[in-house]
Amino acid sequence: MEEQLKIDFEKLLENSNFSKKNVEIKRKSFNNFIEKGFPNRRQENWKFSDLNQIISKNIKNLSFYNDLSKPNKIDQSIFIDSLEHNKIVFINGRIEKIEFDYEEKNKIEILDDLVLEKPNNNNNSLIFLNNAFVCKYFKLIVKKNYSLKKPLFIYNITNKDLVSKSINLKVDVLLEENSYLKLVELSNDKSVTNFININYNFDVQKNSILKNYKIDNNSNSNIKYYFNNINQDTNSVVEVFLLSSGSEFIKNEINCCLNGKYASAFVNGVFILNKSKHHEIKTNINHLAEYTKSYQLIKGVLEDNSKAVYQGKIFVNSKAQKTDGYQLSKAILLNDNTEFNTKPELEIYADDVKCSHGSASGNLNENLIFYLQTRGLNYQEAKKLLINGFLLDVVEKITDSEIKKLIKNIMSLKQ
Amino acid sequence: MLKIKNLKADIENKSILKNFNLEIKPGEVHAIMGPNGSGKSTLSNILSGKKGYDVSGEVLFENKSLFDLETEERAHKGIFLAFQYPLEIPGVNTNIFLKTSLNAIRKARGEKELDAIEFLKLVKLKAQNLKFDEEKLNRQLNVGFSGGEKKKNEILQMSILNPKLSILDETDSGLDIDALKIVADGVNSLRKKDNSFLIITHYQRLLDYIKPDYVHVLMEGKIIKSGGPELALELEKKGYENFN
Repeated sequence: MEEQLKIDFEKLLENSNFSKKNVEIKRKSFNNFIEKGFPNRRQENWKFSDLNQIISKNIKNLSFYNDLSKPNKIDQSIFIDSLEHNKIVFINGRIEKIEFDYEEKNKIEILDDLVLEKPNNNNNSLIFLNNAFVCKYFKLIVKKNYSLKKPLFIYNITNKDLVSKSINLKVDVLLEENSYLKLVELSNDKSVTNFININYNFDVQKNSILKNYKIDNNSNSNIKYYFNNINQDTNSVVEVFLLSSGSEFIKNEINCCLNGKYASAFVNGVFILNKSKHHEIKTNINHLAEYTKSYQLIKGVLEDNSKAVYQGKIFVNSKAQKTDGYQLSKAILLNDNTEFNTKPELEIYADDVKCSHGSASGNLNENLIFYLQTRGLNYQEAKKLLINGFLLDVVEKITDSEIKKLIKNIMSLKQ
Repeated sequence: MLKIKNLKADIENKSILKNFNLEIKPGEVHAIMGPNGSGKSTLSNILSGKKGYDVSGEVLFENKSLFDLETEERAHKGIFLAFQYPLEIPGVNTNIFLKTSLNAIRKARGEKELDAIEFLKLVKLKAQNLKFDEEKLNRQLNVGFSGGEKKKNEILQMSILNPKLSILDETDSGLDIDALKIVADGVNSLRKKDNSFLIITHYQRLLDYIKPDYVHVLMEGKIIKSGGPELALELEKKGYENFN
């Protein structure tokens, strides 16, 4: 693999016009990745999901250079037509469309000529990989006091031309003071066995609101890693909802820093997994200022041989008095071969805080099924109704009613 | 309507019902009274098809063996069990549950399913008759309901599904006197010449409000005495221990 990495990296530099500064940073990042390699279970963060093994098991001849010179045809049928929205479309890692038809033009800025950040002491080798191989690095800025009129959908599409490639995307989002963005990310994969590595940086300034809904619902054989770094200033609100269901493997990592007083973060998610799918949600919520609040609710329904992992950490700095932190995870295991691993962690250095965590997993309650059967539902209908209710509890936490409806439809949840 | 002949039921090699016999004709109300552990709940579980029992003997409902039917098929045929401890189902809206249930049964019987408007009209009427707080119909099923509300909800379900045979498993337990009256009125309003009831209870109290045609005393898995409503009074006076 190292040979391939080197060849592909040189090919990338040869075929692109990176600035001198960026080439320098890319080289450093590249060397860093070569040194560390893909993460494996010996690292605490990866102990339930050995990415190195998962990649070698699922992807034959992984390559890292992807020719982005030619545009891809956009399949319009993929777009959601039930609600009006702005669009950014990626196909096979190439940006194909940026469309903000519903917004005031001078309130939104998109930068794509950015200097990469220098690699720091971060242990996360996948960020180095991303830095080394990312082509265009975008930054979306929502200007001060502006609320987008319609949600922004980022479509992450891969088509069948893409096989055994590593795709690296990097997007920064800056919400200036008192702004508001609803961001829905929808993936749609017809490609097979790729490694997709996406890096998001959200900077949510004073009094701003970010609602981020990440939907991975189409069954596919790709291996994905999402790293979401969120910085929140005073009185900002971030709401994240994850539908983790379609891909063979996904790890969604959320690193959220509540830097300003009264900042709050809500991270909710559902795993709906079957076959050999293996998904992870890893959160790091850092309470770094007084009166900050975090809430996490994760639920999973696991079938066949699937496996879900939730590692949720709440860190409370000694300055962050009056912190309110909560996390709960629950899973229904539909048969004996499924696995739910959960590792709640609280690390608290302040003395006047309210923090709690809990976790439970088990089979569907047969007494509830019997109750529903006495009311005329057959076993399958009863099971479906119970699972529906179990998951609905999380989906109901979505605060945007239009998007909640869309997600219920996507999940075919009734009510 | 219901014929039980020589019913035996074991659970984990423990014999619960021994040689149990009972016949209920259309329109009749039967009460079964017995102490704790006499097999009352086992009887209601077996009639509604709960798994986990070894059974022998014969249970016929409208001349067909119940043992050949799954729990939901028994519901489709018109058997209803009001639970002693109604279950809470988080995430499942009470109205949605009632509609799903009613339509599953109507569909199985080849009847037209009710649409949302027809259903709401029906449920509203039934809820009013039972003085059931309509606001609760929009809540998760039984979640946060008091004991009395849960029992009333069972009777509400019964009145919506309009079963041929209703089995009430200790529906009176945990009810205050007002709730007991409402529940009894609900049952009485469903008494018709084709609808039968099997009322399982500890106490004679409920039978002050629902007049049974027959009373049976169940001890150690067998009916040891049958009679009219006066038997319940006698039992109340003597207690189970001195009865025989």
